[in-house]
Amino acid sequence: MNKIWAIMLAAGILSFGFSSLPGTAADGSVSFSDSLFTSCEEAVYFVIGLAGIMGLWSGFMNIAKGSGLIHSLSVKCRKIMSFLFPNIKDEDTLMLMLMGFMANIFGAGNSATVFSLQAMKKLDETNPRKEYASNEMCMFATVNMSMLQLVPVTVVDIRSRAGSAAPEDIILPSLIAGLLSTITSIAVCKICERRSAPP
Amino acid sequence: MSHILSMISSAFLPALLAIILIYGFVKKAPVYDLFIEGCREGLSSAANITPYIIAIFLAITLMTDSGALSALEKLVAPVFNILGLPQELLSFMIMRPVSGSGTLVLVEQLAENFGADSFVCRCASTMMGSSETLLYAIAVYFGVTSVKHLRHTVAVGIAGYIIGIWASFLLCKVM
Repeated sequence: MNKIWAIMLAAGILSFGFSSLPGTAADGSVSFSDSLFTSCEEAVYFVIGLAGIMGLWSGFMNIAKGSGLIHSLSVKCRKIMSFLFPNIKDEDTLMLMLMGFMANIFGAGNSATVFSLQAMKKLDETNPRKEYASNEMCMFATVNMSMLQLVPVTVVDIRSRAGSAAPEDIILPSLIAGLLSTITSIAVCKICERRSAPP
Repeated sequence: MSHILSMISSAFLPALLAIILIYGFVKKAPVYDLFIEGCREGLSSAANITPYIIAIFLAITLMTDSGALSALEKLVAPVFNILGLPQELLSFMIMRPVSGSGTLVLVEQLAENFGADSFVCRCASTMMGSSETLLYAIAVYFGVTSVKHLRHTVAVGIAGYIIGIWASFLLCKVM
């Protein structure tokens, strides 16, 4: 992450430098300081928006935990998740991961982020080598990122507003493509697990 | 079929909340106290991810606003030609792993310029529905952990993304 971030920042700053040179056609009408300010502002707004929903779902998950709901579902949950995460026994972690996946599939954007983040935190607590991402973390993150969405609502919406005859035509192909992408991620992840074992 | 799917999707959250609440009632759990306790925990993790969010938003905005992404497009354009991917989708595919809102704007533009039912727009919409803002997700997910080395996460993410994009393109061609 250190390298990626540094490269992205450097590329951004350099390009700003180039586009402000006299004689070059500046395509970006945004000034550097504007860009800095708006990005930081947006980030904080985003967190504030997320904080509410994060509090909500953490609260409800705590109810589910306290009332014993998670415990009563844990056997089923373990069955579903044991293929991807055979080494995880903690029922809260498994449940959070499953909720993250489901929320993703059902297109519950920010709620999905919340479940996933809580699951990552749980995985971090039991990670034996804190500096290195565990196999489960890599698997969870990559599967979640390639996760398909049943109905890509925003895109369907854009298409119907743009006057498409059948805005929902893209659902089936995107489901198949998403599925292929998820399968690829799982397979590549399983292969890489053995190769990139932490020292 | 798509109606059923979207009905399930929109019923998911309310159903989940109702189930948790009713189960809590039946088991006579102190639902309010439990909610407050969990909520407090959630808020503190929201505060914890703020630095990571600022860092990644900063990097992404600088990349997109400065034109660094368009420079990258010129670099990879020849590769696209070889793979047979349409040039119109170039900026879309580069933007997709980086910024969700940025890509939505691009889809809107494609729909406007080429028509909502054009191949290009269908292709972009399919890709949109089958992929995720990779870079941002990695930063946020690992932001809550103490991990310094991501190991194979980025590579696997990119592999999944490329297959998703590629499959979308091929599927749109045949369907």
